[in-house]
Amino acid sequence: MSEKLAPGQARAPGQARAPGHTYQEAILKDVSEPPAAFLEISYTFLGDEDIPYRNYTSPEYAEAEMEKMWPRVWQMACREEHIPAPGDYQVYDLGHLSAIVTRTASMQIKAYINACMHRGTALKSSGDNGYCASFRCPFHGWVYSLDGELIELPEDWDFPHVSRESHSLREILVDTWGGFVFVNFDTGADPLADFLGVLPEHFKEFNIEDRYIETQVCKRLPVNWKAAEEAFMEAYHVKETHAGGRDFSEPVTTYDIYPKNVSRFIHTVGSVNPRMPVPPGEQELMEALWDRRGHDAGECPQVPEGATARDTYASLVKQKLGEQYGQDFSHYSTAQTLDSIEYFVFPNFFIFPGLSLPMAYRFRPDPNDPDFSFFDLYFLRPRHPEHAPPHPPETVMLDVGDSYTKAEGLGFLGAVYDQDTDNMAAQTRGFKTCAKGGQTLGNYQEVRIRHLHQRIADYLDA
Amino acid sequence: MRDMSRQISVEPLPPETCQLIDTDGLNILLCNSGGVHYAIENRCTHQDSPLAGGRVRNGFISCPLHGVKFDLRTGEPRGDLARQPVQTYPVAEDAGRLSITVSE
Repeated sequence: MSEKLAPGQARAPGQARAPGHTYQEAILKDVSEPPAAFLEISYTFLGDEDIPYRNYTSPEYAEAEMEKMWPRVWQMACREEHIPAPGDYQVYDLGHLSAIVTRTASMQIKAYINACMHRGTALKSSGDNGYCASFRCPFHGWVYSLDGELIELPEDWDFPHVSRESHSLREILVDTWGGFVFVNFDTGADPLADFLGVLPEHFKEFNIEDRYIETQVCKRLPVNWKAAEEAFMEAYHVKETHAGGRDFSEPVTTYDIYPKNVSRFIHTVGSVNPRMPVPPGEQELMEALWDRRGHDAGECPQVPEGATARDTYASLVKQKLGEQYGQDFSHYSTAQTLDSIEYFVFPNFFIFPGLSLPMAYRFRPDPNDPDFSFFDLYFLRPRHPEHAPPHPPETVMLDVGDSYTKAEGLGFLGAVYDQDTDNMAAQTRGFKTCAKGGQTLGNYQEVRIRHLHQRIADYLDA
Repeated sequence: MRDMSRQISVEPLPPETCQLIDTDGLNILLCNSGGVHYAIENRCTHQDSPLAGGRVRNGFISCPLHGVKFDLRTGEPRGDLARQPVQTYPVAEDAGRLSITVSE
């Protein structure tokens, strides 16, 4: 309750902002010009009613999502490099829905419902990634071409009522953006480009299609899929969850909502926190950034007179990653290089286009229990423009109790994700005992959570 | 105890490929994944069909019939269709020459 406003002087709901400078003001002090999209403000007050806990805990609510929402939304199924050659396939599972995404002989990407047209047997295992020349049902041997056509029907004398036209695989919508393959089970859905809204425009300087998967992890989480996503939708928790309540780490964040399916936050890394009673010096900020490199990073460089820690550290990051990935990143601004830039596409896809925080997230409900979900985590690194992307590594599977630090390639973020997971289990317990009936959200910092629930309601109430 | 194993000399393969070794009544598939050679029995434990012709990637081979994947290091299957591991054989590499050890 830090802001001292006299009675009657209270701001309208949603108008209040944290004391001190905004994210946009912070990045305008950088030596390099940030992308225009970073300077936009697109916040809308969406209400302040509690979000009912039953949205998370009720099997009936989960069933309604499964029936009315999931079959009608675009979902990221895989990256193009998961299926580089004809016959490569990736199975995408969402609740009881399952799709096979494949590359045909003519290099087209197609997606089919993962069920034989004979007696419904799933043609491929859950989450499977592999290769086959055709899709052959393991039950009775019905065979479908990579184009989905029924091409072999054993003992066809018994099936005069079956034809290639009537019993080829059911194709669903597929489209790509930025090297990601999206599917939609609703064959009458609007195009992906409409669904993505501002995303392609905001990402035009990031060449997301030229990234490759360096690490992929699938973790089972002890919380409903929405609450899992919400843990990553605000930076309000950073100070307590990741920094033991210390002021130093508190970022300056912008929260924005775009029609209809996109929201974002962007928060500073390595800039002065305006809420500190005594602002840290630039060298102190530099040392905090340098600590991220671990114990073998050597001595922390000095910030030159008149320069900032952010700009100094960003140029070192660009140089180091440039050498590591054989590319020139000098055109990246300080904000693009350092900041936590997180875009969300409803209902379950997050992407971070920044250079040093290069993640993509996908969350999926557990079809058998609304108290659990699956978190697919990818690290996407810049691909050398002259090299083909390497094959994605095998997915590291982590169960509820497994630490992210067991997965190689997550760096200092492994321990950070563990801290987030501890909160999730505690939320699941609290949802069921809390007498209040719902979550209370901050109007500004937690607006993306409200946006998520309002978009779900759009489908459930339709 | 008498050593009942024998060595079979084989030529190296390009990465992410496999080749059937069908001499002396053996049915062994030599695979190269990520520059490391592996040898497995050429028999999918799902339905006994040949693994030759399957895709090799990331240390796994996918059976060309139904796509069952096997870990080339251990022989263990992935997915819902197979439970039994496929037989693996040690491959030694010495100065660019490969030999597979097969126990009799």
